[in-house]
Parts: sequence; C-alpha cells; structure tokens
Amino acid sequence: MAAKPGAATPTYSPKLVGRTRLPIFKDSDLDWSRPDGRGFHQCRPALLQTGAVSSASGSAYAEFGNTKVIVSVFGPRESKKAMVFSDVGRLNCNVSYTTFASPTLGQGTDHKEYSSMLHKALEGVIIMETFPKTTVDVFALVLESGGSDLSVVISCASLALADAGIMMYDLITAVSVSCIGKSLMIDPVTEEEGCEDGSFMMTCMPSRYEITQLTVTGEWTTPNINEAMQLCLDACSKLGEIMRDLLKQAASASEE
Amino acid sequence: MGLQDSSQDLSTEMEVDAFRRIFPLRFFERHLSESLRPDGRQLGKARDTIVNLGLVSTADGSALAKIGSTTMLAAIRMEVMTPSTDSPDEGCIALEFHMPPICSPTVRPGRPADAAPVISKRLSDTILSSGMIDLKELCLVSGKAAWMGYLDIYCLDADGALFDAALLSAVAAFSNLQIPVVALNDNGRIVAITGGKDQDNASITEKEAVNKEKRKLTLKNIPFSLTCILHKTYILADPTTEEESIMDTLVTVVLDSSDQMVSFYKSGGTALAYSPAIKSCVELARKRAKEVKQILGEMDID
Repeated sequence: MAAKPGAATPTYSPKLVGRTRLPIFKDSDLDWSRPDGRGFHQCRPALLQTGAVSSASGSAYAEFGNTKVIVSVFGPRESKKAMVFSDVGRLNCNVSYTTFASPTLGQGTDHKEYSSMLHKALEGVIIMETFPKTTVDVFALVLESGGSDLSVVISCASLALADAGIMMYDLITAVSVSCIGKSLMIDPVTEEEGCEDGSFMMTCMPSRYEITQLTVTGEWTTPNINEAMQLCLDACSKLGEIMRDLLKQAASASEE
Repeated sequence: MGLQDSSQDLSTEMEVDAFRRIFPLRFFERHLSESLRPDGRQLGKARDTIVNLGLVSTADGSALAKIGSTTMLAAIRMEVMTPSTDSPDEGCIALEFHMPPICSPTVRPGRPADAAPVISKRLSDTILSSGMIDLKELCLVSGKAAWMGYLDIYCLDADGALFDAALLSAVAAFSNLQIPVVALNDNGRIVAITGGKDQDNASITEKEAVNKEKRKLTLKNIPFSLTCILHKTYILADPTTEEESIMDTLVTVVLDSSDQMVSFYKSGGTALAYSPAIKSCVELARKRAKEVKQILGEMDID
C-alpha cells in the first residue's frame, strides 16, 4: 500500500485563470493557514494504484492525505434473480466505512447517501449498452476518512472501472471545494469540512469537458460559485491526466 | 468413472486454462502428483508474507498483513470502561472480523459472509486462550476503570487462509498498540490527556497520569497458525481460494511461541484426518511459526 520509493506523488492543484482579482484579504487577515499547511488552492498529493484486490475484476486504491479508499469492481455478472429483464446493463454501488475510519468511535456501516451519489455520478459515464442483462458492482470501502471522502471515492471508482475494462465514455474525476468565510479551499480535510459555510463538489469527464454531477450546499455567492467551478474544472482535468498516466503505466507493465 | 475417462480423452487436446476450469480437481491432482502446485509452490510451502505496522492514524494500534494476495487490516482502539464485578482487575478485548463486499465476489452488501462470524469467534477464542495478553495489564484502577480494546479486522482481499492472515494481523496490531495516557480528574473519573501542547498541561501529565509506565502490552505466547488442506495423501499448506473451493478438508493448527499447541481445528470435509496426517500438519505449522517469527522479528516484535 505504501508509495513506491523514489517516485514523487503527483498532485493536481489547479491554476486560477481569468481576470486578475483584487485581493479580498488585507495582509493582516492572511496570517492563518490550513491545518496541513497547504495553500488555499493546493490539493493534497494523490497516491493512486490499480489492482489492489486480486479477486476483483478491477480495483483501485487511493490515498489523498489521510483519506484512504479501496474500490473493487465485480462483473459484469448475472443480475439478481428478482430483477426484471433489461436491455441495458445495471450498475450497483455501495460505499461503506470501517469502524476506525473516523476518530470518533462509531459503527462502520453502509453509507446510503454516498452510495446513491456514487451511483448517480457514475451512471452517466458507463456505456450500459455494452453489458445487457448483467450487473456491474462497484463497492467502496473507506479505510480512513480524512475529508473530501466522496470525491476520492468517485475518482477511485472510475479508475477501478477502467482497470476492470468496463466501457466508459471517459474517465471521471471529482474535486470538492469548501467555502469558509470569503475564502475558497480546494480538497478540504475533515476539520475544514466541519466548519465550512458551504460545500461544492463537481464530478466531470475531463476530456469531454462535461459535468455528470454538481452538488452545491450552504451559503454561496455567484462570484464564489464561478471561481469554485473554474478551480474544480482545472483540478479535475489535472487529476484526469494523473489517472490516465497511471493506467498507461499499468497497461505497459502488464504487457512486458 | 465414465466422466473421468472422457476427461482423460478431452484433456489431451484442451487448452490449459479451459482444462483448469472444467476439470479443476483433475488439474490439481495432476500437479500434485508432480509435488508442485499451479502457482509454482511446493506442497508444504506458504506464500510470501508481508507485515506493515501503524497504517491507520485514527487507531491506537494497527497492522496490515499480507499472505500471498490475502490482505488483512487490523486496528485497535482503546476505551475506558468499568470492569465487571466478577473480574474487577481485568480489562477486556472485543474482537470483530469483517468481510466487506470489496474483498471477494461472493460477498454482497447487506448480506454478511457466512465465514465472517465463524472466523471472528475462532480468532477471539484463540487470542484469549493462548494467554498472549494478560488482561490484568489492561486494568487502570481496580474495580473502577479498565481498558476495553476494540480490535477490528477487515479483510481487504480474500484469497484463502483467511484465519492465518487475520491472526497474524491481530498479533502485529497488538505489538503496535500504544495505550493512550489517561489521568484521574478531581471527580475520580478517567480523562484522556491529549497532546500536552502547553506547559501547564504537560505538568498535569506528569503529576496525575495513571498509566505512564504501561504504554505497551507485554505479549507472551504469541500464537502462530497454519491452515492445511488434506486431500487423499497430499497435504497442502496455506491454500488459496481456488484450492479451498476444490478440496474442502481444512485443518488449522495454532501453536504458540514455545511450540505448544493452542488450538486444532478441522472443519468437517470429505477426507478423514489420521494421526500421521495430523502429525505432519503440526510439523508444517512448526516450520511456518519459525518463518513468521522471523518476519515479525525483523520488525522488532517479540
């Protein structure tokens, strides 16, 4: 699970393009920083790895800071007996947490909300017509929750789907942004998510420049939403490149 | 025997992979007759084993154990509880083994695997009866407060010999365990001391910490286990899922550090175990225990 020695972990921090803005903060306001010492527009290093689970058709492991996730893909395999006939394939998603995922002692259970959001984020990108009458199962386990869990799960799931050889229109990447006060922080950690005024998560297909899911909650101003969208799009496409490189490497390694 | 004969004829022309799927038993038996297994191992040889410590930052102790592709992640979290009146000076260990749907194609969400509670029970029986942990060490204030250790083992990848890997990860997690520092406050209740960032806090730590000395558990009689398959006259150590599904007689031997037997478990199956077979299983387990001891020894685990 550890990073390969010598190889630097790539990151996908976006570059803010467009008009130059007047700084919102006076210098005196800027003396606080993020808990892990990152810049506001700096993402955590993204450690990704395919083929983590040997018994699955495809799998991937993702470690973004303290957020650690494993996604396994099974299938396409026979749908449950109770299901009615379907011309197109089915997608079944499940996200669960370990009991030690977060510092507060909790019960590790299925996360229904994330399961359905993962399903909605993925259904637009998978070409369901390629596996009629069958089901593809995407199961995620959050080993450790360190913030931005859902976006890491979604990116990792798309990598696992690609590893399993499921036909997709494009890779899919997700990035979230938190709004605290007047500042935007990309890829928030748990502490930041706890005190945020608003959250923003975008799931997009970087090569096609299409968005499959956009969630905005809390208090947002229009300029902030615009800025968050720019940040996410740029970070998504950079993360997409990292994932594409990884898949190419994995493919060339298996050929040898 | 008609089927056997027809497979004999077919097998000469069939591709290896197809033969493996259609006649798995014959495929394996042909390997076994050459004293070799399909993955290139000898019959009594276990797969490569890796142990990593302290991967989960939210837990007080954690370990990842890998035997071949079977992967287990174990994490321990400590909590203060009031001991029962029967044993006022003993702590408690609660063990749970989980098989999440990611680990194997046979596990579906919402329907826990049948094997999980069985392994869970066997693991806690083994760990408690081996005497590896002295529950008295988990006592803080007799009759008032003791440690409750929650050990959760997650199977991340199931490829046979689940019990062996789970036990190894549990042992390694206990060796990695750092018991948090706690103190008695004025009301006679136990409170956790976190960090000690400022000077005042640090002085309190020195004054009132109840368990300054006992941050680590002393592990004695560490249990080591080996699962073997009995098939006809063959004994296969450390089976993979494929081997377990084809040949169903499993024998698990658990020995402690001084080679004393802790538990022996044979789960039914078609083959009967006679004393020579049992003796050779124990012999294999003894060799394996030595190997595992060395692997743990390299990481400073006694």
